[in-house]
Amino acid sequence: MNRLDALRGPVSARPHDARAIAALAANPGCARRALLDAAGVDKDRTARHLGVPAPFGRSQFAITRGNAFEALVKENGCAGLLRLLRELFGLAVEEVGYQDVESVGAHLRHSHTRALIDRAAREGEGTAVFYDHPLLSLEIAGHTSYLEPDVVAFQLGGRFHIVEIKSFAVIDGQAAPDKVAAAARQAAVYVLALRTLLTDLGHDPRLASHEAVLVCPENFTNRPVATSLDVRRQLAVLRRQLARMTEVDRLLAEVPDGLTFDLAPDGDGVPTRPARELAEALSRVPARYAPDCLSTCDMCMFCRSEARECGSTDLLGRQVRDRLGGVSGMAEALGMAEGVLTPAEGQEEIALLLRTAERLRQECLR
Amino acid sequence: MSESLDALELRIAELRARVRRAVREGDGGAARTLRGELRRAEKAWDATVTAEESASAAPAPEPPLLPIREQVHRALALLGVPASARLIVAVNDAFFSRALRGSQLTSLRRDEERSFRASPYARPYYLCAALTDRLSPARGLLADSTWASERRVLGPLSPRVDFLVSAVRIAEHLARLAEPPPGALRLLTRMAQNIPGAAEGLAPADPVTAIRAAWAELEVHRAADAEQRAEVAARAGRQLSDVEGLFGAATMSTLRGAC
Repeated sequence: MNRLDALRGPVSARPHDARAIAALAANPGCARRALLDAAGVDKDRTARHLGVPAPFGRSQFAITRGNAFEALVKENGCAGLLRLLRELFGLAVEEVGYQDVESVGAHLRHSHTRALIDRAAREGEGTAVFYDHPLLSLEIAGHTSYLEPDVVAFQLGGRFHIVEIKSFAVIDGQAAPDKVAAAARQAAVYVLALRTLLTDLGHDPRLASHEAVLVCPENFTNRPVATSLDVRRQLAVLRRQLARMTEVDRLLAEVPDGLTFDLAPDGDGVPTRPARELAEALSRVPARYAPDCLSTCDMCMFCRSEARECGSTDLLGRQVRDRLGGVSGMAEALGMAEGVLTPAEGQEEIALLLRTAERLRQECLR
Repeated sequence: MSESLDALELRIAELRARVRRAVREGDGGAARTLRGELRRAEKAWDATVTAEESASAAPAPEPPLLPIREQVHRALALLGVPASARLIVAVNDAFFSRALRGSQLTSLRRDEERSFRASPYARPYYLCAALTDRLSPARGLLADSTWASERRVLGPLSPRVDFLVSAVRIAEHLARLAEPPPGALRLLTRMAQNIPGAAEGLAPADPVTAIRAAWAELEVHRAADAEQRAEVAARAGRQLSDVEGLFGAATMSTLRGAC
């Protein structure tokens, strides 16, 4: 692990929150991200120092709206949530138990969560259905991260489910797919943490269901609606990514000696390392940029400009990139489309496709 | 009214033109006097326009004469169970004055505790905490010190039971009123939507149906809840001092904050 400390420099590792861990699963193929996260590098500060801060942040309005909606769903002992779960899962009328984990005081929350989950797993029936404000933990590359399922783990038929309350609307049964995907990834992190806890306690990890419950406002009202969310795929991706982080040695072996992402902060924590040098160090580790990175990774702007410079097809999104397999870059693709380049062996099919696309485009423009 | 507004607007326009002319001609003194007049005319316009506005709006509700703790007590007396600040404010809005805000309730419990510690039982009632099964104060819930301790403690089923009881109490109060306030009906409807069989879709709830439906579910939980609560209350009676019995045993984190 000393190599990782060297990569990070003389600052303490940054703990991960659920959002950050979920973002890991968004782009499992990215070595740069895996390495930066394993080393616990503060990506936000790094990007800022490079002069390319991420275009996203947490809007105060969105946070307030989210909190208000969450309070609405959880008010009166999760009365609103209870109705949804009764409708969705046919929860029995007797099942209404509610435990607020936070009532023990903030610093005991984690051990109290453990105790409550342990009791519920052992006794099964007759324990509480809702566990409000639980605190779970997950070990990421040697550091323990504490996770607050912004919601509740509830027990149904002896299995625990994660409930994720989000304030984006489900309109006519449809929600924005990227937001649902992000919610699913986040829920997967909680499921994984819960499974780790159950394994730790000597219970069957499958007691934590892979079906999370997503609660969102319905249409244009504030009325909550619940949908069940299968997070098996996200779980698998997340596991693989976390495994990569623990097998980070393999990644490290490809990293040149003496490489560091140290910002060399001075006494006041202001980075002093020349941005150019840092950018060069970063470009020694390959990234896999995709447009989705723009909403999940702090380094997105840096990787995007890098991808632009070398004309990489990554810029066009995963689907297009995958179809352009075997084409090395934008210049080559454009050349084939315009018929300037003769396709090499094995490229005939994609060249034909590109030429057709170009012809259609010309016809549209005419 | 609007005629005088029209006249004022004409006058304001004319004054502005004259100010402009005076400034152009370099007549500073005249410009100053004209600006003064213009400001007066604008003020008069403001006054007239707001007078029309307030005349058409409903008269503002009179500020209640009761102190905040009395208002909270009144809402709690109606509900009859420990309630969150949110619910207390909603009940107060629906049935009584609309002047209570959630932020006014944040320090209430602490103030009451201080007062009780200074001179125990000096007041006829205290607004105190509901106790969890670990005898710590439940977050955000207010209760009345004159209630039996079984009513002030919580088991795992209690949040649901208390929710159903408060829905019943609100519905009963609504049924007693000759002219139920629309806000109260909305509150009941919102609660009834979360009780099976109490409300149909988004239509306003009927108090009698709501009471029947809430009782039907209450019957399921009541015995088990009463048993759990009696156990916690007995433990609280054995282990806690008077102050702790009302305001909860300190959790580790509050102890830490104290030293």
